[in-house]
Amino acid sequence: MLYVVLFFLMFSLLLYVILAGADFGAGIVELFSSQKNRHLTKKTVYRVMGPVWEANHIWIILMIVILWVGFPNFYNVLVVYLHIPLTLILLGITLRGVAFVFRHYDAYQDQSQILYDWMFRISSLITPIFLGMTFGAMVSGQIVITEDYTNFTFYSLFIQPWLNGFSVLVGLFFAALCAFLATILLIGEVDENTPNIYLKKAKIATLVVVISGFLVLSFGFVQEVYFITNFMQNSYSLGLVALSAVLIFPLLYSIKKEFQIASRTFAGIQVVLVLIAAIIAHFPNLIITTTSEISLLETTATDEVISVLGISLIIGGAIILPGLFHLFKSFNMIKILE
Amino acid sequence: MDNLDAARLQMAFTLIFHIVFACIGMVMPFFMVVAHKKWLNTRNPIYLKLTKSWQKGVAIFFVTGAVSGTALSFELGLLWPEFMKHAGPIIGMPFSLEGVAFFVEAIALGFYLYGWDKIPEKFHWITGIIVGVSGVASGILVVSANAWMNAPSGFDYINGEFLNIDPVQALFNPAWFTQALHMTLAAFTATGFAVAGIHAYQVYKNRQVELHKKAFKIAITFGAIAAILQPFSGDLSAKDIAQRQPAKLAAMEAHYETQKGAPLYIGGIVDAEKKEVSYKLEIPKALSFLAFGDFNAEVKGLNDFPQDEIPKVPIVHYAFQTMVGIGTLLLLCGILFFVSLKKKKWWNNKKYWLLFTVLAPLGFIALEAGWIVTETGRQPWIIHNIMKTEDAVTPMPGMIYSFYMYMAVYALLTIAVTWLMSRQIKSLNNSK
Repeated sequence: MLYVVLFFLMFSLLLYVILAGADFGAGIVELFSSQKNRHLTKKTVYRVMGPVWEANHIWIILMIVILWVGFPNFYNVLVVYLHIPLTLILLGITLRGVAFVFRHYDAYQDQSQILYDWMFRISSLITPIFLGMTFGAMVSGQIVITEDYTNFTFYSLFIQPWLNGFSVLVGLFFAALCAFLATILLIGEVDENTPNIYLKKAKIATLVVVISGFLVLSFGFVQEVYFITNFMQNSYSLGLVALSAVLIFPLLYSIKKEFQIASRTFAGIQVVLVLIAAIIAHFPNLIITTTSEISLLETTATDEVISVLGISLIIGGAIILPGLFHLFKSFNMIKILE
Repeated sequence: MDNLDAARLQMAFTLIFHIVFACIGMVMPFFMVVAHKKWLNTRNPIYLKLTKSWQKGVAIFFVTGAVSGTALSFELGLLWPEFMKHAGPIIGMPFSLEGVAFFVEAIALGFYLYGWDKIPEKFHWITGIIVGVSGVASGILVVSANAWMNAPSGFDYINGEFLNIDPVQALFNPAWFTQALHMTLAAFTATGFAVAGIHAYQVYKNRQVELHKKAFKIAITFGAIAAILQPFSGDLSAKDIAQRQPAKLAAMEAHYETQKGAPLYIGGIVDAEKKEVSYKLEIPKALSFLAFGDFNAEVKGLNDFPQDEIPKVPIVHYAFQTMVGIGTLLLLCGILFFVSLKKKKWWNNKKYWLLFTVLAPLGFIALEAGWIVTETGRQPWIIHNIMKTEDAVTPMPGMIYSFYMYMAVYALLTIAVTWLMSRQIKSLNNSK
């Protein structure tokens, strides 16, 4: 049953990264659009994401619940030592969510739209950065686990682990991934009469992903971040990253041929491969502190708890997934009919 | 202020906000589907207009409820890591099921909001029902997790360890039913009176009277029925608390001396130092009867509990009085509404509409007061008789700044949502 739970944990993580990632990315693309294209992006994002974006963001709640129920000690380290970045993620999610609704449901479209728009764009950028920084902090090897709070400064315990060069670079890399996903998604959403502005943006986003990914690896290598040196020796991880890189060619081809579904699938698979590469590099030791490694699997809840959790997830999945599929399908089909 | 107080204040503050958003997001879909059904049956365009305007309200409140709920799911761990480390596996079941219900709600809402003229009419209406039902289901599940803190069960506590965990038994803990019933009725009462009050004000101001009267009638019917049922649920809760958490009951009633045939105090000023209640109205033997169904039953007083194991009496007592007082008032006004259905001429009287306008915020005040009773009344325990709140708090110092930040964000959110709602109503009134 543990594998069922792990599957759902991984599944929600991947779906969150892909779906919410594209959603964050849409805001980032809007932020980096010229004045006149911003409006177009806003309209497109609303049409594409409107019906589904709330559902997209529930995956993170599912992840949190699975972590605290199934892996309480692991979760405990995260919430105690990464309190601040997690709070900042929350702040971002909150402001972004309300800004999205406010700008589309306000009864009057007036000056206040400017405020909602900027709130939406900026929080769309900072939230994935903090998400990436949190992952960076987990594996940065800078977390200090201690019961003795007098010999350490607040900074070294609660800030240093996530506010350092490596974690910040991981944050930027993740934001770039989100933007990449969004541009590929948006390419297929522009109607035929207007020039497709997202083609160029997709190229830029791809370039930024490659550069920031390279920076993460080289910075980690130079600074001897244990996770990165390990990552670079792990042939599976390297293989997955290489495969992801090779997929750029079929992606470019399907974009050129306007195979929307294929290009989205390729982009999604690319991100999933990178993510899996990062996770298996050190699995199950997903938190690396200054002195030790904390395994996800070492401190699981008891078998009964895991069984009940697994059964709940299977039942829940059987209810949610068809509904979600139907939701995505319905609104895609409607779009084609229009 | 120390870390514990700051963390508690932050938790209280975020919960107080979340409860309002979540209750409206949970109950308003029912008003919406009733109006929608009336539109489908009568094809009276007023009902369509009303449905569409309520659905915007639902969307705004659903999202603010959802994001503040996401925040809370993180905060449980961020503020109370020791609690979650042990309780997480035990109360995971209601939370994971709540996740499912919430997911279903989000999916159904996606269909409902964006499905106008796109999906079959009947199916569209049913997705609205699913929104409401899954909203109530999530509410009940979350309350069940809270009830577990009051009535911990589904594990054996041996030498400081939680062994033999049974998540199903924890979900159906002894307090879940009374608490969930009380909360669900309270949500319907509070939202019903609040929404009805807003529409009553519009009638009072003579704006779009026909529409607002229809809206008022739908909302208040839900609110009034719930308000009339609530005392029965309250009685169940009181008897349950008397058994399981006698210290909480004693604090609710500011009952210091253990005695047989204990009187019920109404109102009064509590002096926690001298352990006295002055200026109260005393009903002989009523407390014994309400708590145990026997006029001569013995009710244990606060003085006979270890003094470090009782909550802050004045807060709990005042909050309880507020809740019961308002509850009674709303019950009477609920009856008044049903009488007014027979006496149609009341509906032409401005005072009728003014009365319901004034009632608008009261349901929520009572509901929040009720939560203050149950949460403050549980102190000093975070898990009743097992773990103290002070042992669960995060070791990270400086929680006060976190509290300030949340307070600022949530205060802004409230102002923004209120402003948005007033614009919705303005736009509704200006439309032809």
